[in-house]
Parts: sequence; structure tokens; C-alpha cells
Amino acid sequence: MANKQKVKGGEALLMALLEEGTRDLFGYPGGQVIPIYDHLYDYRHRINHILTRHEQGAVHAAQGYARATGRVGVCIATSGPGATNLVTGIADAMLDSTPLVCITGQVPATMLGTDAFQEADIISMTMPVTKWNYQVTSASEIPRAVAKAFYIARSGRPGPVLIDIAKNAQVELMDYSYKPCLSLRSYHPRPVLDAELAAQAVELINAAERPLILAGQGVKLSGAEQSLIEFAETGNIPIATTLMGISAVANDHPLFVGNLGMHGNVAANEMTQHSDLLIAVGMRFSDRVTGDVRNYAPEAKIIHVDIDRAELGKNLRVDIALHADARDALEAFKNGLQHRSREAWFAFAREQEAVEDEKVFSHTEDPQGRFITMAQVIRQLAEVERGEAVIVTDVGQNQMFSARYSRFNTTRSFITSGGLGTMGFGLPAAMGAKVGVPDREVVAVLGDGGFQMTMQELGTIMQNQIGLKILVLNNSYLGMVRQWQQLFFNRRYSFTELENPDFSKIAAAYNIPSRRVTEPAQLGNALREMAAAKGAYLLEVAVLPEENVFPMVPAGASLSELLYND
Amino acid sequence: MNKEYIIIAFTENQIGVLNRITICYLRRKINIESLKVSESSIKGISMFVISAFTTEEIIDKVVKQIRNITDVIEANYYTPDQLITQEIALYKVSSKMVGEHGRVDALSRSLSARLIEFNPSYVVLEKTGTREEIEQLRDDLQRRGVLQEFTRSGSVVLHRDSLEEILHEIENN
Repeated sequence: MANKQKVKGGEALLMALLEEGTRDLFGYPGGQVIPIYDHLYDYRHRINHILTRHEQGAVHAAQGYARATGRVGVCIATSGPGATNLVTGIADAMLDSTPLVCITGQVPATMLGTDAFQEADIISMTMPVTKWNYQVTSASEIPRAVAKAFYIARSGRPGPVLIDIAKNAQVELMDYSYKPCLSLRSYHPRPVLDAELAAQAVELINAAERPLILAGQGVKLSGAEQSLIEFAETGNIPIATTLMGISAVANDHPLFVGNLGMHGNVAANEMTQHSDLLIAVGMRFSDRVTGDVRNYAPEAKIIHVDIDRAELGKNLRVDIALHADARDALEAFKNGLQHRSREAWFAFAREQEAVEDEKVFSHTEDPQGRFITMAQVIRQLAEVERGEAVIVTDVGQNQMFSARYSRFNTTRSFITSGGLGTMGFGLPAAMGAKVGVPDREVVAVLGDGGFQMTMQELGTIMQNQIGLKILVLNNSYLGMVRQWQQLFFNRRYSFTELENPDFSKIAAAYNIPSRRVTEPAQLGNALREMAAAKGAYLLEVAVLPEENVFPMVPAGASLSELLYND
Repeated sequence: MNKEYIIIAFTENQIGVLNRITICYLRRKINIESLKVSESSIKGISMFVISAFTTEEIIDKVVKQIRNITDVIEANYYTPDQLITQEIALYKVSSKMVGEHGRVDALSRSLSARLIEFNPSYVVLEKTGTREEIEQLRDDLQRRGVLQEFTRSGSVVLHRDSLEEILHEIENN
């Protein structure tokens, strides 16, 4: 690859992106990236550039793309406001370990620091939310910067990186040659598994009466889905997933006991509280998973596996902290692992599932039969899609209902903003996911609030004919905040009621077929019509205005203090 | 309980590393008491010495987050008694003090300080010592009303064992 040729910096960037396997690029042009876009014009048949309607749309699309495909998502924006508009998505990707390479334009090197037009110090601004960032001020730095960026973004615990390219570097001539980055002396992304510690973990597992596997997104990121199943089946150990871990295990697997945390399943949470050994793999004990840490899993020893050393012991004390890649650890755990029947433990799981059936699942419909409920929509959607669709959610009640009632057969099928909880994420992320996996059905499940935060991306969907399905659950409220106001603030609905536009007219303006349903009897047919649509389709479901997501662990409470609808 | 903890970090000499390291303190609202960055004994590798008051539990989390920075090669935390620590300070003192001692060298000797500059309006003295020694002289001169200016280096530290072993390993590879 030492074929030297003289090219301009802007072209060198595109050549380097191609070397790293980039085929799709989400972006928005502006003054300080015009030279790059000029080269993109010539490269448009090799790099599929998708023009979004806002830079936030570009970064969320790149996130959705990365999450659906496992490849690095790439986005590009101009300097100043273009760059700052990426920040929310970058912060989101940082918390959710999403591999992204973000490219921003910058004022010419000679003008740096002078408050030039559209100058923003994006390097300083993104330091807390990037794994690495770098400012390029001469063309010769570009190939090395791109190689490092991709290596850092996808290795170890993945995350976002940003390359800020001064305009002069885009137009300078340089001798191009490309060498991928394979290692850095200060960065060791692949920990060496401590076999002795892993063997101690296996002893604990063999001795445990009531073990529970907590599977996080790390299982997907390391491609450990199969190892997880083999480990769980060998030891006959139940598996629960975090919000980010959803779809790593098929819902119908007999060892799967549900989702953890604030709006998780009763069995998963109650089993946490009664377990004598938690085996946490590729998750970070977020406060949404643990509730009050002082009363978390009071009877359990904890084995924590994470590729990020800083996560070990960060939120709670653990008995065995194994700094390892999830797959390496799960493979090691199979050595010497004993199969135990754990009849009482599985009986406990079935009991707790029965509790949820009785207290939650049997009340998911409007007793008067007048309104459609969100729970009903997602349950019926799951039936229609049969676990094959990629579900991309926004944030709030739509997200929690999707997490609770969707069904998945394959991994990387649930894409949601877990750590940052970014409203407006859903539509552009679904767009990116559909570009990444065009042969799969992709459904964006949105609330009426979040939809309107990035609704302009309907233009991107129209222009690029992105065939995703948009399901808007319209309750005319910012539903999750309203739920908290109802439960904890005396029903004082302070600024959570929305007066909404006619969404079907909006869809029509973008040439996207749509339908609005209000009656429970219309729902199944409408969902089937949406699923059968060839291209993009918007289904708006007017739902029960004051529906709540239950069960719920109130913020800061113990997992044992589940709230139900009564 | 809050105690003084000193983090020593070795990093690539790159723009922005300082900022990324201080962010780890800033996020947890920990005030940095002193910070020194200089080239280590190996070219291209910087040594950071950062002192702050916090708890051991917190500093352990901070140091893990510092290690996660791509350009950080190694980072560890220490308590002051684990390190050999010295500071250098300069004191600008009113020359009327000289009158009290008769001669300039008598003055510097009496304060265990070195004379750097002497002119009719002031004397500049230099002292090397522990933080306590440096501060004691400062307070003393202040009490006498003769201290005009004062500046200090921040801690210069050495560990009794070698901290740079790991760096030499890297260098040899």
C-alpha cells in the first residue's frame, strides 16, 4: 500500500475512508468542508453520501448505522455550528460505546484562535465526549489521523472519535500512501484474560445455587452472543439483559428471564435481589439498572467482566473483577463449568413471571376498550414482525414499551439511546440503521415529542428513498415526564402537554404514505399494512393519553420496591 | 476522608493530553492543588505530577479514567509519604531586611536560602525544601512585612522504586 501519489488533502481523506471500508457517509456541507465535498462529487459512486437535514441527524444516523452493522459509523460536518450540532450525538455514542468517526471542517490553520467566521474550538468542546480527537492542520497528517481514528473507534471499548481538518489541509497537495494503524504504544485495547481469576470465577459459579447472568451490550460488541448461550446452557444459568443488551439473546430462549432495571421485567429484577451470584458481562451497573446500590443484590457475590478497566468497581464493589473481552471471558468460563439443575431457582423465575402476567401483562389494554394503548401497539407489532425487525426507539415511554414488549430472534436488532437518553435520536438512527442493513425491516418507534425534535429528517428519507417504517405513538404528551409528574409531583402536568400538527399532512408533504388509527380494532390491520409497505411508511397511532409504564423502580429506590399500576 | 493524593502519569507528548487529564478531576469537582508537567527521562514522553485532596476511593476511580486516555502510557496514585518530594520557591524580599542582618549573605544563611539577586530595593532568595519548609519561610517573611513576591515550582518527585521501568521497557521494544 506504499503506492505514492500526489493528491489534495480532501481527496486523501476520501481515499483513506475507502481504505477503512467506509461505503456510507452521513453529512451536511458548509463553508469549511467545501473542498472535501468537491472531491466527494467525484467519489459519489464509491462513497454513498447521504445529505441529512441537520448535523444532529447525520451523527445519529451514523450511530444507528454502527449499531445495526457493527461497523464504524462515519459523519461529516462543517466547522462552527456544523461541528457543535454533532456534539449531542457524540456524547450519546460515548455513553453507549458506539464506534464513530466524526469529521469536521475547521478554519484555515493561520486563522485558528482568531474568532474567525464559523470558528469553534471543537477539539476542546468534544474532549470529554470523545475517546480521542485530533486537529489536522496539514494535508500530510490526514492518512495517519484517519488510520488512528478508525483503530481507536472500533477497538477495545468502542467509542466516538473526531478529526477536525483545517481548510488549508484540505486543499494542500501531499504524497498519499496509506498504512492502517494496528497498535499504539500508549493504548492496549485487548486485555489479556487472567486465567487464574477466570478459574476462580468458575468455582464461584459451580458453587452458586441461584446464579444470574447480566448481559450488556458488551456481548454484542465483542460478538459473544453464541459464547453467552453456550456458557449459559452448559451451566444451566438464567440470563437477563440490560437495556443495551436487548436482542443479544433471543426472547424465546428458555434461559432468558427478561430485562433489568427501572422498567425491566419482574423476574429479572427479583432474581437479582434473590440471587447468590451475579455474573455481569459487558455491562456497567448503570443507576438505571441497579436502583439504590446499597440495597442492590443483597445476597449476591458479583463477578464483573468488562473490557474497560475503569468500569470495574466504579459503581459498586464486586468480588471478582475480570478485565477482559466478553467473548474471551465467556469462553474461559466454560472450562470446568458444571451443569446444575437449579430447579428451585427456575421455579422462582416462573413464579415471578406469573406475578408480572397477573399484575402487568393482563392489564395492557384499555379496560373500556376505547383507546389503543402503547403496550398493545408494541405487542401487536412484535406479532406482525415475528422478531425479525430492527426496532429503533426514541426516548421515553415509547422506548420503555418497545424494550418491554418487542421480540427479537437476532442480535443487533434493538437500537436505543441508553446512556444519554437523547430525545430525537430515533428517526435519524433508524434511517442510518436502514442504510446499513437495507435487507432488514427497520421500524422507528417514536413518541410525538421525540419525533418532532428531528422530524426534518423525513426530507432525507424522501430524497434517498430510505424504506424505513415510522411508528408514532401519539398521546399528545411528553409521556415519561408526565408519568413522573403524575406519580411523584401530584399530577401537576407542567409543560408536558403538546398540541401537535397533523402528522399525515406532514408525511404527505414529504411524499411518504401514512395512516392514522385511533380504534383498537384498526390496529392489527394498520400494522400489517405498514409491514407490507415497500418503501417508507408512517403509521400514527393515537394512544391512551395517560398510560404509564409499569412496573417501575422509582429513581433512587431499591429494585425490591417495584411500583405497579394500582 | 480527604487526604492529599499525588497522581503521576506518563504520557505521549501530545497536544490536548493535559486537558483530557484535568477533565477527569473537573468532572468530579476535585480542585487540583498543584500540577507539574515536564519531559521524563525518555524523549517524547511527558511526566505529570498532580496533587489534589480527595478520598482514596475517588482517586482510584480518577486514576482508572486517566489510564483510559489514549495517549496515557501509565498512571498511578501515591500518598506524599511514598514519594521523595521537593519544591523550589523564589522570595522577593525588601532590602531593608539586609540592614537588620548587616550583610546579605548573613541574611540568606540565617534563612537557609540561596541569594539569587541583590539590588538597593530588593533581594531575591531561593529555597529548596519540602512543602512545609517552603511555606514556613513564606509565612515568616510575611509576618515580618518584608515579602514582596513569592513563587513556587510545584512538587518535583521521585519514587523510591523506579517509576520509569515501564517506560524503559517501551523504549527497548
